[in-house]
Amino acid sequence: MQPRDAFAGPVRHVYVHVPFCAARCDYCDFYSEVVPLRRAEGGAPEPAKPAASAPLDRFVDAVSTEWELERAAHEVHGVRTLYFGGGTPALLGVGRLERLYQAFAAQLTAHAEVTVETNPDEADEAFAVWAARRDVRISLGVQSFLPRMRAALGRRPAADPSAAVRRLRAAGVRDISVDLIHGIPGQTADDVDHDLAVLADLAPDHVSWYELDVVPGTPLARRHPQVPSDDERAALYRQVVRGLERLGYRWYEVSNFARPGRRARHNVAYWRARPYLGLGPGAVSTVGGRRWRDAADVADYVAALDPSPRDLPSPQDLSSPRDPSSPREPSPPPREVESLGRETLARERLMLAARCGSAVPLADVRPVLDPGAVAPLVAAGLLSLHSGRIRVTRKGRYVGDEVCVRLFRA
Amino acid sequence: MLPFAVAMTDLTHIRNFSIIAHIDHGKSTLADRILEMTGTVAERDMKEQLLDKMELERERGITIKSQAVRIAYTARDGQTYQLNLIDTPGHVDFTYEVSRSLAACEAAVLLVDATQGVEAQTVANAYLAIDNDLEIIPVLNKIDLPAADVAEAELELHELTGASHEEILLVSAKTGEGVVDVLEAVVGRAPAPSGDPAAPARALIFDSEYDQYRGVIAYVRVVDGHFARRQLIRMMGTGQQAEVEELGFFGPDMKPAERLETGEVGYIITGVKDVAHVRVGDTVTDARRPAGEALPGYKVVRPMVFTGLFPTEGDKFEDLRDALEKLKLNDAALSYEPESSSALGFGFRCGFLGLLHMDIVRERLEREHDLELITTLPNVEFHVYLTDGTLQVVRNPAEMPDAGRIERVEEPFVSASVIVPSDYVGAVMELCQGRRAEFVDMKYLSPHRVEMHYRLPLGEIVLDFFDQLKSKTRGYASLDYEFWGYRESDLVKLEIVLAGQPVDALSLIVPRERAHARGRMLVEKLRQKIPRQLFEVPIQAAIGNRVIARETIKAKRKDVLAKCYGGDITRKRKLLEKQKEGKKRMKQLGVVEVPQEAFLAVLELDAGDQSR
Repeated sequence: MQPRDAFAGPVRHVYVHVPFCAARCDYCDFYSEVVPLRRAEGGAPEPAKPAASAPLDRFVDAVSTEWELERAAHEVHGVRTLYFGGGTPALLGVGRLERLYQAFAAQLTAHAEVTVETNPDEADEAFAVWAARRDVRISLGVQSFLPRMRAALGRRPAADPSAAVRRLRAAGVRDISVDLIHGIPGQTADDVDHDLAVLADLAPDHVSWYELDVVPGTPLARRHPQVPSDDERAALYRQVVRGLERLGYRWYEVSNFARPGRRARHNVAYWRARPYLGLGPGAVSTVGGRRWRDAADVADYVAALDPSPRDLPSPQDLSSPRDPSSPREPSPPPREVESLGRETLARERLMLAARCGSAVPLADVRPVLDPGAVAPLVAAGLLSLHSGRIRVTRKGRYVGDEVCVRLFRA
Repeated sequence: MLPFAVAMTDLTHIRNFSIIAHIDHGKSTLADRILEMTGTVAERDMKEQLLDKMELERERGITIKSQAVRIAYTARDGQTYQLNLIDTPGHVDFTYEVSRSLAACEAAVLLVDATQGVEAQTVANAYLAIDNDLEIIPVLNKIDLPAADVAEAELELHELTGASHEEILLVSAKTGEGVVDVLEAVVGRAPAPSGDPAAPARALIFDSEYDQYRGVIAYVRVVDGHFARRQLIRMMGTGQQAEVEELGFFGPDMKPAERLETGEVGYIITGVKDVAHVRVGDTVTDARRPAGEALPGYKVVRPMVFTGLFPTEGDKFEDLRDALEKLKLNDAALSYEPESSSALGFGFRCGFLGLLHMDIVRERLEREHDLELITTLPNVEFHVYLTDGTLQVVRNPAEMPDAGRIERVEEPFVSASVIVPSDYVGAVMELCQGRRAEFVDMKYLSPHRVEMHYRLPLGEIVLDFFDQLKSKTRGYASLDYEFWGYRESDLVKLEIVLAGQPVDALSLIVPRERAHARGRMLVEKLRQKIPRQLFEVPIQAAIGNRVIARETIKAKRKDVLAKCYGGDITRKRKLLEKQKEGKKRMKQLGVVEVPQEAFLAVLELDAGDQSR
């Protein structure tokens, strides 16, 4: 059997990074620009200043252009999953979201999974109606159903997340995922039980429940928060896993839980090491042995993909020759490129598979595997070995990083 | 060029002397001042601790290795003398260096810090000088400091050497005050060398240095006759013959010369690469006209403290061997033999003079040879008498025979002298009692200072006796000791069992009455030092088959990054790769990964033991 290389083959998965937020959350280390919002009575949120909407439009155009360029540059088959992450994609507003969606519509397969991330604030009626019409999967950033916990994370006071879920359901959205965090400073087992109880009531299709990662450099890290101890966090994590399983969710990845048939297919593609394109500033793509990241700067991004100056449109300019010193053909934004050797790809394969407990043929990872490490891990019940495939067990998933480190050849 | 570099110096105008002192009494500063005032070193080349060439020496402010330097001094009598100053270490571990240097001299400047008074190494070094029939020139240093108590220190020096008030010189090496008087005393009081220029050539090798390009550089003191370039010479002890490629003196850098005359101090390079053929203490003679008798050599230095040194990375064993070989070239007291440990792999059981020596060798191996090492608990050489009547020498606790085969165990005892202000006599007694020490006697050096004598197991000293002594006397106590003899003790081997496997590198030999306490402390320390693993790790301390203490390291409950999506993969992979890299610093014992610090846990034991 020929070993399978990670991230090889035609591209069927696309991620779009929408780097705009109404405010930055203290724990977040994703790239985003703050766009202050104004909300008309009962209407859709709109950027507070009219001038602020121009960059959003240009961004939508730039993504469409990048998509055109990428489709020409890579072997792209029918797109099976499309994910709008951020940032807060819903902040674009329904009109721009629709325009963005249409840029991809022709390439989507019949049962493509299209996901849009949003916060409860932006999940208003108009958004819910649009999402239902396009049969879009919604990933809702809740973090905690307890306002006290959200405050501990330094998240802006938000609309009631439960109401947002109900609104989306009422509009006809069929697939809803909720993002939660555990290990928040001051969080107790009772707090987690509260979130579990709300979930039992709301019954979302999917839950992503992450342990808080205090990333150096974030405002949260600068506050030196008192997060629960290692043992406490380990206990909260187990409480989350057991609680969700009791509610009928399957624990299919370290932090992801789904009702049967409702896994996040886009994310599963990452964990299976399928090739993917990432569009938008800061987005990462991996195709074959190459990984690149678009510069995390929306101005540079737009300038590269949309070089014509729009501020002073003049009919004559369109026919007359342009200034030769300024770029005129759209080109990919500045990128950081990383070359992935076979061993690196094999290590990633192992690392990603460990997250889901999926089986990896030994033949695929042999060059990076310490053969002596397998038996003790199997004996400890952290790994299983059957018909030439290794699989990290449920017990092993809790300590998957260490299992990988042990498995890696020195 | 200096006059004597070309002209032969009359024997009567040569003076060979060393400066001996307790550590930190200002020996290197006095040497600096002498070099500066005599113009041996140009002002622009002057730096502190000039003779301490090793980075480590300068950093720690100590002298580890002897240095010899030739000085031209025009005395008050108008004549120019050739003074050879041999700088010596001041720490008890390096007493042998001092004794070697003294054999090349006729006089010793006994330097005492006037703010501290006579200390243990002052006494030890003074006796060494007296035993070598040297003229002692007592000097009180640091008289410029407000804390200097000249009268008291003078009294102590008088007690020690019998020197009169007039004979004791008062200097400040820092300001230079009185330094000329020291040089005058060297010229006036020290005898000129007494060799025979016409006799067959003989020179004493009092030190050596290894240069990777030039081979062994022998530091010599010419006793009779002379040596010249191209001369065929022979080492009388080893029989090695060689031609002199270069000879010369230190000024303080090596300065080649045509000849080394009777009474002079300098160096000889023959191109011999193997230091074993140019032994310190051996006599060099003319191969064609050999001397009949070798000069008296030195007592062979015996390592007293043993420890296992293991490279943290298994494939560095050969590098460690090469590095030890190179260090050994400059360090006759260092011994090593290959050792294999089931826990730590291949390494060497090394013998040292004491803890400072061990520390310095380890640090030099790591620094100058870029090695990462695990050091096991230092221990002494035990003499184990077996029931079948044979004697087994044990330098490694792992080699201790089964209790059933042992008739008795003897361990080395030292006779130790502690000098301390009389206020701290009680504290010293209390410490010594806890260390199985036997009181011998005590005497007052002056109304305020006492010299106490004890016999105690060397094994107690190699733990942390000195640190404890310092802390219990607020730094006032000084310690010197010498080997006394072997004596029976009730000792047992304490073994550490990690996840069911005995770890040879963690076993230790302890007095039976303290085995339980040490066992408990050790497993507790290990529990703290070994990080949680994927598996539960029981730690046990056992004597024979009997477990006397037990702790458990619980298994890791969670170790996985929460998020890993398309944009995170590189970062997360690098994190895991870095963790893998970090594991290289861990030792794999069965399934247990043990950080190097854990092996040091045993070293920290005694401090805690005392506080119980």
